[in-house]
Amino acid sequence: MNLLETCGLTRRYAGLVAVDHVDLVVPRGGIHAVIGPNGAGKTTLFNLISGLVVPSEGSIHLAGQDVTARPTHVRAALGIGRTFQNIRIFGEMSVLENVLTGAHARLRASLVSIALRLPGFRSEERQAVAAAREALALVGLSERAAQPASSLPYGDQRRLEIARAMAGQPLLLLLDEPAAGMNPAETTALAGLVRRIADAGTTVLLVEHDMGFVMSLSDHITVLNFGRKIFEGKPAAVRSEPAVVEAYLGARLAAKLRAAHA
Amino acid sequence: MMPAWLASDWTIPAGLDDFLWTYGHLINSLGINGLLALSMYVVLAVGQLSLGQAAFMGLGAYSSVLMTLTLKLPFYVVLPASCLVPVLFALAVGVPTLRLSGVYLAIATIGLGEVLRALYLNVDVFGGALGINGIPERAQTWMIFGMLILALLGLWLVGRSRIGRAMEAMREDATAAAVMGVNVPGYQLGALVASAVLAGIAGCLSAHQSSFIGPNEYGFEPAVTILSFALLGGIGTPVAPVVGAWILTLLPELLRGFSDLRLVFNGLIIVVAVLFLPHGLLGWRMRRRAA
Repeated sequence: MNLLETCGLTRRYAGLVAVDHVDLVVPRGGIHAVIGPNGAGKTTLFNLISGLVVPSEGSIHLAGQDVTARPTHVRAALGIGRTFQNIRIFGEMSVLENVLTGAHARLRASLVSIALRLPGFRSEERQAVAAAREALALVGLSERAAQPASSLPYGDQRRLEIARAMAGQPLLLLLDEPAAGMNPAETTALAGLVRRIADAGTTVLLVEHDMGFVMSLSDHITVLNFGRKIFEGKPAAVRSEPAVVEAYLGARLAAKLRAAHA
Repeated sequence: MMPAWLASDWTIPAGLDDFLWTYGHLINSLGINGLLALSMYVVLAVGQLSLGQAAFMGLGAYSSVLMTLTLKLPFYVVLPASCLVPVLFALAVGVPTLRLSGVYLAIATIGLGEVLRALYLNVDVFGGALGINGIPERAQTWMIFGMLILALLGLWLVGRSRIGRAMEAMREDATAAAVMGVNVPGYQLGALVASAVLAGIAGCLSAHQSSFIGPNEYGFEPAVTILSFALLGGIGTPVAPVVGAWILTLLPELLRGFSDLRLVFNGLIIVVAVLFLPHGLLGWRMRRRAA
């Protein structure tokens, strides 16, 4: 069974179709990428999948379950984790508290258990802290656990967002331009991190402009342009697909390029 | 044979007696305003703004007084029951407005306060403009401070858990909190209901220690005063708004001569707090992990 399936997924805004009847299939395991020029609808697609934007048409299934009408927090509990293109950490909280907040959907202690500090709450909280420290170790931020999150440098804030999303132990991790603003060394380290996450069993779906990053990591790529899916396949196939080259470079430049290669 | 300290004719030392006679009402006000500050805190802590805390307090006051005078219920029943009516109104206001973002709750709660004031003024059972007199003084100082300590302790313990983390996360970024699995509308409604419980109990205690309640005690003016408690103290911990309430309760006593300017002071404090003390006087925040 596929982990994520969207069927005819559409989001219309006044005078604009941001996502236009997209059928996206993400099988369990591996790294999947969505690419496309600016304004192709990639972030809207992520917002539709995580429930921040309501679809105008179409359906979303997670692990066979229809989640189209489910609110964001329920989808989080069902296993959709994500990061944001513009970093959205909780700046005033410590790094560790950010990651603990990421585990919110998994924690079950009742109000009574919390208020009376019953053993169930205490042990759950201990486990959550241990798991949060593990997530921080995964992204290499263990030393920063007690710092206010806003004091982290940019690249570390991106990695904190990933740790926070992983604390929820998602089935599907959505990474929205994780390499944006990173230098080549940081990007290489990030690629290693994403690979480790995928190898540990979390399915990764990412949006990214850094083509080197996408081509080297992805098992499968979906290309969007003007909200429509124009191609999908293995990285090598994507690179040589005329429609994709055209979407990025424009028809005239693409034709010139083909002529030059011929 | 009852021990001496339990006997009803046990006497308070003369000096303390005078002190309580003079300041008893002020001491009770410290406790009640502390509870009101906490009721404001709960709402602000999830990133919402309500100006209905005085209205919830009034609902608690009027409903409890009617329970005492008309239904002749004992106080140990009236006190817990005094939160029922405020909670119903919190649900009625919160369910439709919390789906909308930003200022809708604030506006709806101002409206609630004004509607209720008109209701108290015009419906006979609430005593009209004269209010209700002759309320038995059943709220003891120990009850008031007992409730305050209980509320502080509860909010502190809940604050240091996944619930407290979720509340702070919502305050910082509701969208990111939702993606973490926080049921944002649910928490917002829960906070409003909790604040109605606290304000309702404060209203009941206040009504049962002053022998009189009237429609103008629960209007827009006290709502702003309650907001200024939390703005002055801050909302980093539950203690902060209580300290803010105590400062603003004691200040008019110290500045007796300027009692006409009381509202000016409150307004000034809101402006100064917003401009220069975005985290209040007590800016430190509690650590959100228990282990």
